[in-house]
This record gives sequence, structure tokens and C-alpha cells, in this order.
Amino acid sequence: MVAIRRLLPRGYLFTVLGIAVGVAGLVALGAMAERITRFIDGGDRFVLGQISVAGEGMGMGTGFTAGGLLRASKIEQIARVPAVAAVQGQVMLPLNPTTSQFLTLTQELILGVDPAVRMSNREFRELPVRDGRFLRPGDRGVVVVGADFGASRRLRVGGSLELASGRTFQVIGVLDKTLTAPDRFAIVPLDDARDLWLRRDPLLVQVFTGGAGGLGRGDLNTGAAVAWADGADPDALARRIQAEVPGLNVTIPGELSRLLRQSTAFFSALLFGVGVLGLVIGGLSLSNTVTAAVFERIRDFGIKRALGATDGQLLREILGEALGVSVIGGLLGVGLALAVGTLVDARGEGQQLFLFSPRLLGFSLGFSVVLGALAATYATLRIVRLSPAEAIRRGA
Amino acid sequence: MLVRARGLAKTFHGPDGRPVPVLHGVDVEVKPGEFVAVAGPSGCGKSTLLNLLGLLEPLDAGEIWLDDVCVSRLSRRAQCGVRGRSLGYVFQSFLLIAGLTALENVLLAARYVGRPRPTALADARVLMDRLGVAHRADHYPAQLSGGEQQRVAYCRAVAPPLVLADEPTGNLDEGHAAVILAELRALCRERGTSVVLVTHRADAAARADRALHLRAGRLESQEGDGHS
Repeated sequence: MVAIRRLLPRGYLFTVLGIAVGVAGLVALGAMAERITRFIDGGDRFVLGQISVAGEGMGMGTGFTAGGLLRASKIEQIARVPAVAAVQGQVMLPLNPTTSQFLTLTQELILGVDPAVRMSNREFRELPVRDGRFLRPGDRGVVVVGADFGASRRLRVGGSLELASGRTFQVIGVLDKTLTAPDRFAIVPLDDARDLWLRRDPLLVQVFTGGAGGLGRGDLNTGAAVAWADGADPDALARRIQAEVPGLNVTIPGELSRLLRQSTAFFSALLFGVGVLGLVIGGLSLSNTVTAAVFERIRDFGIKRALGATDGQLLREILGEALGVSVIGGLLGVGLALAVGTLVDARGEGQQLFLFSPRLLGFSLGFSVVLGALAATYATLRIVRLSPAEAIRRGA
Repeated sequence: MLVRARGLAKTFHGPDGRPVPVLHGVDVEVKPGEFVAVAGPSGCGKSTLLNLLGLLEPLDAGEIWLDDVCVSRLSRRAQCGVRGRSLGYVFQSFLLIAGLTALENVLLAARYVGRPRPTALADARVLMDRLGVAHRADHYPAQLSGGEQQRVAYCRAVAPPLVLADEPTGNLDEGHAAVILAELRALCRERGTSVVLVTHRADAAARADRALHLRAGRLESQEGDGHS
């Protein structure tokens, strides 16, 4: 406390609080923008990391889960296309079918994967496991949940999760936060996902049990992730798959990325607006507070000039004080934003609204110091233009 | 210090922008060690004259010499040095800096002119002790009485060879006023400091070697014959 008292010039308490509020606003708005940016970037990385393939048609899902049945024979044909390195059949289902028509950024999904096959996405070779472990070959009746999925249901390793009526899974792992789609995944072995799919889709059950079209369990895939060989052009390969293997919906990674960017353009504009708003509100609050604090002491500066202080001495003195005040106010503001953000996120049932990245915190502190110094310099230059007597009169 | 001011003139501007002449070509001379009082009715230009002599306000016309230097023609930066080294001010409303202790206020001028702190500190403590405010050295102005604040302001001002005092006893009771006036008097006698005192008080003017009477921005008369 004594050290802070020494750093903080007397009478600057409310200035520091004013700066803290401005910086807290900047950090909080910036953290929300960071969170959205990370989500969109994560999605972009995902779609650029693999060629997604589905069977022809719509299937039962929409959005991420769109696509018709992708038979095992098609997967084998894809694997034979030159420059294809690996194909991983998957089942992706919306957790709640009644809301599956509404694709949202926070949609919860069930993902069935074969742990014996390596993840085909170049950007997500391994999903980071925070607690427990990931799926292993031979696992059945177990689930690995994403960070938000687990947090919203207070799931822990060893706990259980009902993914369909009467079908309970044991939680064997909780993923670390990725700040993108996998945070809302429940990942189960591929065969378990096929069972869940059959339970949900009566038509599929009739087709499957009736033996129509010679379907086997291995044909129950909603899609596949295709990896390409090093040096291959993924967009060209995707077009080649489309051309060589009929009856597929093939997404071109580059085109999908552009589509994703277009569909999230609103959010990008929104977060840009939020960022600009944060800078303007935080910046105005901070510069106004520092400038007002300097002008408030105009009489003191008049007295000091009467006692012989030069313009340079006054500027150094005021800058020193402004920097001290800005740093302390900035740190307090960052602390305030962190406290409020953590509190809000803790009550958000798994929804993380804020991302306090080091670059955001560093920028905010730097911003407060630079703006504080500029505001103090501006105010000082205005004051030193006055004669000492005028400064004393105005401050009286 | 010898002070010579010739033809000092100053005009302010009112809220409507119209010129308000305050001083019309006033001449002043103060000899080394002389105690000069400036008297006159309110608004006659006493404080403005003091501000001009102290380089606190730019002149419209005239010039000011301290010894053999025409200080009114110096650069802004050089005038800062003159203010710090040669001029001391005692204001009616004390004008202590609220965020500094009494001792820090007294040491302020020494800091700006680069005077070594140990020397300045020793002098400040002796002076504060003499004025009876040494025990208040670590107090802030708001924690001091009016009399104590004026004595601290006095301690801050009296190191230079020319002291300009603008109604220094205006906010004080008789006892405290007498202390300040006696100190100013002693300053001239013991240290050869030149003092210019703006005052309404007849008893204060009577203590001076010479009294200048201003009326409507002009020097009306002088009383006294120099050193007493």
C-alpha cells in the first residue's frame, strides 16, 4: 500500500479509478471480440484442414451434419484416388434433433470416430485431452466430451452421460478448451454413434433391417474426413474426388472457408465494431480522465512555473505522474475486467464469453500508457502556453 | 538586488473582448535591501504591477531590469531561471501545493533551479524552525492553519534576493500578520533582500522604507526616503 501510495501522486485516486473503468471496458469488449475471433478462426482452420465428404442427398442433419449416407464402398473408392493419404469415416449427429434445423455457432454435436484410424484433419491431428484419455480402439459405451459440453453438465471423468433414451455412456475424457466447435462435441466410438443414429431414425432402421440395398453397419457413415498427401493441392484433390467417385457431396476446403467467412461476415463486422467501440469508449474515458486531472491542477503548475519550473521540467513531471497513474489505472482495469469476465463465465453454464489473451492484455496496458502520456502531453502543452499568473488565476 | 522598471503597461481584455487598461507606464525602482510598499485602492493595478515585476505576466510595454540584466527581454526559458533564482513570491492566498508536504513546498524552488538538496534541506529546516512551523514539516497544507500556511509560504519564498509579497497578511489575524511583517522587515535588514509589498494595511505600509501609491494604473505619489 505504501509503495502504491508513493507511486500514486496525492489527489489522483479518482483519476486512477476513472482510467481503470475505461481500461476495464476496453479489455472486456476486446475479450468478447477475441472470443468470437478465435471461434471463427478455429472453424476456418478446421475446414481448411480436411476435405469433408458426404453421401449424396440431405440425410437427417443439416449444416455440419448434412449429407446422405456414405457407404463403405465409397470410402474405399475415395482412398484409391491418387494423393489421398487417409479417409476416416464418421458419424456426426445433432445432440438434440428437434433443434437440428437451426444451425447455430453453439450447436452441440455427437461425433462418432474410429479411434483405429488417425484423425484426418491436418489442423486437429489430436484433440487436447485435459482430464482422462481419448478414445482407443475397442472402446464401447464411452464418451469424451468437449470442455463446454462437459462444463455445462458438470461432467467429470468416471461420470455418466445419457445420449439417447436408455443409452448411457461413461465419461472417460474431457477435452481442453479449443475455443471452437469441438468444445461442444460428445465424441463416441463410431459403432456407438451408428447405434445412436439407428435409434433416432426409424426410416433408416427399416432400410437397414430390411436389407434394402445391401447395407451393412460399415455403410452407416454421415461423412468422411479425407487427408491429402504432403504437397498435394487440397482444392484440386477435392475436385478430383468429386470427378472420380460419383454420388458424393464433396466440399472444396478453399470454397468452404470462403463460405464460412461469408456466413460469419456479420460476426466479423460485429466484433470489429465491438473492438472499435472498446477503443473509442476506453480511449475517450482514459484521455478525458488524464486531461481533466492535469487541467484540474493548472493552479499547481502556475505556482511551479512561478517558482522557476521550465516547460521541460513541468512536462517531465506531469508525464511521470501520468505514466504512473496510467499504469496503475491500467493494471486495475485489467484486474477488474478479468474479475468480472471470470465471474460471468463461471455463471455461464459452460458458455465462455470472454477470452483474455496475452496480446489483448498487453495491448490494453500499452494503449492506456501511450494514450495517458499523449493526453498528459496535450494538456501540459496547453498549460505552459499560459503565463504563470494566468494559470494561477484559472486554477483558483 | 537593484530593480528598475520603466514604463510598465498592461492591458487585459474583458469577457466581451474590449480592452481593460490596468497599468499606464509605471516606473519603479527598488534599491538592494530596500523595503517598498505598494498601496492603493482595489483595482488600481497593485497586483498586476507585482506580477509584471515577478515575470508572472508578459508586459505590453516597458522594461524590467534586475541589476544590469534586462530580464523582460529574456527568453521564456531564461525567465524561468530568473524566477527560480532571483525572485520569491508570497501570495495572499498562500498558494501552497496541496499534494506536497510543508517541507516539500518549501524545497520546490530549490528543485527547479538545481540547488543541491542537502543544502536546501538544511536551510529550509532552519527557516521553518525560526518561523515555528518545523514541527509541521510533514503535514499537508490542508492540515495546517491559515497562519501556518502563510509561514510555510513565506519560507518557500525568501531565499532569492528579491521578494514580492502580494497582500501576505490579508487572510491573517493581527498576531500572525505581525510575525510575517516583522520577518519581511528583518529580511531586508539582515540579508539585504529587496522586498516589494502590496498591501491595504496602513501599518504595513508604515513599516516600509518607501510607499508607492497607485491610482487607476498610475503612480500617484511616493512617501518615505529610502532606507529606514
